[in-house]
Amino acid sequence: MLTLLPIITIIPIVIQCIQGLHLGGLNTLWNFLLSALTPSLSNDVVATCLHGLQITFAYAIISWLISISAGLILAFLSSYSINKIIGIPEIFTNIIRGILTLPRATHELIWGLLLLQIFGLAPWIAITAISIPYSSLMARVFAEQIDKIDLSNAIALKQVGSSKLQILISTFLPKLIPIVGIYGSYRLECAIRGATLLGVFGLGGIGTEMQLSILSLKFNEMWTSIWMLFISILILEKILEFLQKPTLYIKNIGIYTLTSIILLSCSFGLSLIWLNGLGVNLFQQINVYLFKLPSLTNLLSALIVLPWAKLLSETILLMILASGIAIGLPPLLLMILPNQFCANIFSVLWIFCRLIPTPLTTMLLLLSINPSISVAALALGIQNMGVLGRLLKQNIDKQDNKLYTAILATGSKPQLAWLYGKNVLTKQ
Amino acid sequence: MTKLLEIRDVTLESNGRKRIDSINISINHGDKIALLGKSGAGKTTLLKIINGSIKPTVGEVIFNGKNITNASNNQRRQIGSLWQDLRLIDELTVGQNVNCGALGRRGIGWAIANLFGIIEYQECLSCLDTVELSSDFINVNIQELSSGQKKRVAIARLIRQESKLIVADEPLSNLDPSLCTSILNMLLKKQSIKGINIPDSCIISLHRPDLINKFNRVIGIKAGQIIIDTENPSISSSIIKNLYS
Repeated sequence: MLTLLPIITIIPIVIQCIQGLHLGGLNTLWNFLLSALTPSLSNDVVATCLHGLQITFAYAIISWLISISAGLILAFLSSYSINKIIGIPEIFTNIIRGILTLPRATHELIWGLLLLQIFGLAPWIAITAISIPYSSLMARVFAEQIDKIDLSNAIALKQVGSSKLQILISTFLPKLIPIVGIYGSYRLECAIRGATLLGVFGLGGIGTEMQLSILSLKFNEMWTSIWMLFISILILEKILEFLQKPTLYIKNIGIYTLTSIILLSCSFGLSLIWLNGLGVNLFQQINVYLFKLPSLTNLLSALIVLPWAKLLSETILLMILASGIAIGLPPLLLMILPNQFCANIFSVLWIFCRLIPTPLTTMLLLLSINPSISVAALALGIQNMGVLGRLLKQNIDKQDNKLYTAILATGSKPQLAWLYGKNVLTKQ
Repeated sequence: MTKLLEIRDVTLESNGRKRIDSINISINHGDKIALLGKSGAGKTTLLKIINGSIKPTVGEVIFNGKNITNASNNQRRQIGSLWQDLRLIDELTVGQNVNCGALGRRGIGWAIANLFGIIEYQECLSCLDTVELSSDFINVNIQELSSGQKKRVAIARLIRQESKLIVADEPLSNLDPSLCTSILNMLLKKQSIKGINIPDSCIISLHRPDLINKFNRVIGIKAGQIIIDTENPSISSSIIKNLYS
């Protein structure tokens, strides 16, 4: 039941949204939804969207590959288990982990805006802005997963007389590769979303196209972008699902690893060529726009002027409300309609939720609801619901149905059998 | 007989409790020792001290004239361990797991090559043959095997190590009676098979006093102390009763 509890946050959100509702904008919102059925198919629009989509994908692939490589190196440096085997002091691991906290905690959008401020508009900024937080994020996840690996195999191989490097190769590598495959591929979709979001802020790609369409209220054109992104994500999801199948690596982990390294290296090179072909020059001259740093007096006065308590409390409230929707709604929907057909419909819904960048969802909501924390929470919650809904479905799909069918066999309603029989609480 | 391993006045304390209490044992070449004792008596701890994976609080373990806690990789591999939880690598195939036993005698390149497929195929096959496992299993993933088959793979890895002493922790647990005899015979085999040397010395912990006649020495441990150390495997039932009381 604890998993469903956060959904109560929807009550204050709904109340505040109803209070701020203005009917004038509902018509525009309805037009937006209706345009989903009639996306623009004109050659110009399709060509522009396709061009933007390719740029977004190339940005995402390059930044993802950089993040995966850097993340793995940083994971080795920040893993307690590996450093214990090599004989590096724990303080070194703690220092690396501490350093990685800042880049991880700062959103790619903030990195993008910061880099834009210093270097001006340049294509490499999108890649760097995504790579910085994703590298440290992957480093943390990989390091945690490495530290979860049972050391008994390593001890056994030490007894065989293996060197430290042999122990790492023979025990850690085979266990790490599937983890990198699963989590790494999940991050590719995140990188695509990150690249789309940065596009909204002028860094090119499909995000820029979506932003321009919504500003000129050309919803049909916006839906061309959304549908293209949707189809691409759907295809990508299927490819990644196939590549994660244990049957691929269980027979020969070495060949699987080597093939993956070759494929990823080729993808990196091809993406660079691809971007160049699309007219994006990543290696253009770097300009630096230095700005005068504020003096200590100015910083202190800003510290006093800004209403920190209000800002912090609003941010926390926003986080709680958005998390409530994201965590509570997917299991609730799956529980109310516990059948495969509805689960598939929800999967499609999750894709749409996470595809549309939060700033654009906010703009759409603001067409008919006055600005408030609830609108921001709703927009943020919708996107995160898409992300968590996908993870929840993946985890549920991996579970067997034994417990569910056992409870169902007692004569229980499917909804209750789902609630008790699916291990939602621990898996989400 | 010459001394192979010597445990000198070894004590292990943890959480203020003596798990091993002033133990002295000499293991000679050719010794086949059954280590008896009830659960929690200290059998596993003693075996881990012998193979060097646990450092005693007091005392030392001398193997081939050198202290085992400071032993080099090459010295360490002279003691082959059969762990109670087997410690096979789930992501690798039977052949790759067996080859892990040879890591101590090979380099980094060999370790990487082993991840790509079976190298030194014939040696690997001979080890599987010794444990009566068909060559059909060589490319099968470890997770697809039964517990008895996994135990055989672990013994094959142990044989591949080419050690001088076998330290086995309850290798017969959870096995049916016929498989027990078969596994025990594998560990106690005397002669070399197809060029592979099976160690002629071993210390094996057991919960089966009925099988001690297969050994030439019996050590009984109770509350961390040795209470029996005899070369006569026909121990009276009263001593066994005392050991398990």
